[in-house]
Amino acid sequence: MRSVRVKALLVGVVLLALVGVMATRESGPDRMSTHLVGQGAPPIEGATIDGDVWRLDLQRGRWVVVNFFSTTCVPCVREHPELVAFAEAHAAAGDVRVVTVAFADSPGAVEEFFRANGGDWPVLASDTGRVAVDWGVVAVPESYLVSPAGFVVAKVIGGVVQADLEAMLVEARGS
Amino acid sequence: MNRFRWLALVALVLGALVVSEVATQPVLTNADRAHQLAENFACPVCSGQSVAESDVPIARAIRTEIARMVDEGATDAMVRTELVDSFGQDIDYTPQGSGLTGLVWVLPVVLAVAAVTGLTLALRRWSGLSTGRAGSTEKSSRTMLLVGIAVLAVGAGLLVAQTSGSRGAGETGSGEIRLSTRTLLAQAGVAAPQEAIALYTEVLELQPSNVEALTYRAWALWRSGGQLLARVDINDAVTMDPAYPDARVFRASMLFADEEAAAAAQDLLVLDTLAAPPIVGDLLAASHLRERIASSLAAQGDLLTALTLLDSGIEVTAQPAPLLAERGWLLAVTFEPDLLGLAVEALDEALALEPAHPNALAYRALVRSVLLEDAEGAAADAASFAALADPPTALVELLTTEGLLG
Repeated sequence: MRSVRVKALLVGVVLLALVGVMATRESGPDRMSTHLVGQGAPPIEGATIDGDVWRLDLQRGRWVVVNFFSTTCVPCVREHPELVAFAEAHAAAGDVRVVTVAFADSPGAVEEFFRANGGDWPVLASDTGRVAVDWGVVAVPESYLVSPAGFVVAKVIGGVVQADLEAMLVEARGS
Repeated sequence: MNRFRWLALVALVLGALVVSEVATQPVLTNADRAHQLAENFACPVCSGQSVAESDVPIARAIRTEIARMVDEGATDAMVRTELVDSFGQDIDYTPQGSGLTGLVWVLPVVLAVAAVTGLTLALRRWSGLSTGRAGSTEKSSRTMLLVGIAVLAVGAGLLVAQTSGSRGAGETGSGEIRLSTRTLLAQAGVAAPQEAIALYTEVLELQPSNVEALTYRAWALWRSGGQLLARVDINDAVTMDPAYPDARVFRASMLFADEEAAAAAQDLLVLDTLAAPPIVGDLLAASHLRERIASSLAAQGDLLTALTLLDSGIEVTAQPAPLLAERGWLLAVTFEPDLLGLAVEALDEALALEPAHPNALAYRALVRSVLLEDAEGAAADAASFAALADPPTALVELLTTEGLLG
């Protein structure tokens, strides 16, 4: 009888441990949020709204902010002036490039948006589904900082602000 | 004997179970396969919907990507690896075959075997009771049988887990995702030469046609003293992709180091026709490779190729002053009166673009002093040169020899 109790107790402890492990395990969405950070940046290649071909691998040696965007997304529209300010602050030094990948949007609407709101950087707006999948984009806006060596060093889910981007850059540079 | 019969029966049941789990599915059309695969992945932004069911933009994009990969001949494991690489393990409905999640595969097998075993033992017990046979030998045999079955069950469970939960050939023993080639390449880019060579080799084992890995392995080999292997790799890289700029610039550097200036010039001339990343231009500017090749060609009497190489660079670079200075100097040291005007023109242009360019200042000072007999102009250029923070030693010596620096 006593042996049965001990066995039952052991089974209980094992089950409790299992529940504990499951309960404290990192949840899915959190893990997704840091996905790609520390990995090589997936390729980006495509036609810009200006008709040029833009490739991420041709930017090696420079920092690149990859911004996934849509004109129909309110946080994207809100963050846009911050990105413009950030890009302008680095235009003279040429140390950082910004690229926008418009996702699930019409190229015409994107072109019109940039014409009206500024942003003098390459904007890819056609056939960007593959890029979004390669980068694991869940919902726009999402921004990534890519190092000169081609690593994704930071990821921001949601709108960005200039000061945060600058801080991210300083931290990534280690200066 | 009876015991072995039962054991064989259990093994047969387990075998059938394993085979049913891992058996090849019937061949499907690409569209069927793509749809079936889409059902195996969770929509990243929906709750409880698969990629096949959801209509949000990213689910549509993932469906398109799956269909594209299937059409291009990707296996299910390759599609799974690609999506898990991009979105993380949580997108995959198929549980992993390792770690805690692996229990999902192991436990059903173990429980099924336990059920069969229990039923078997119960039947044997009833049979024993009815014939009146029971004793210590019987108990011992039963214990051994149970242990054997337990080992077999766990083994079968692990086999099912490994097979059904596998992420394909690229998976490591721990069940983690193998680093993608792009990550290996990025890591190699910041690694020491020997480590970089190993990483590039790993990429090439996964993807023998990866020209970037081949090119940069060649460069890492060159830097670590493996000149012969480096030349083999770099030639293969250029053959594989003649339009890869990095391969051209590295081969030019290697050829020049091996005193093959004419061949090096040809690689740079091809490079000028390609869309090279800024880092290639930076590398050329920092190493003065083009100027050194041109100077070597001119010294060998091939001034035409030297000038062609410099002119080609002047057209494509954003900072042409060093190349203009070199052009002016090479023209000047021909001592041909017809070329002197062109030489001065190039030097003037270089200094208009970069007034403090040391080579341009030193060259123009010498040209003015020696060829134009313009002592005042030469002294002005020499004074500007002397005011530079860190003038190149070779030029200082040259100007001192000519009496332009005190």
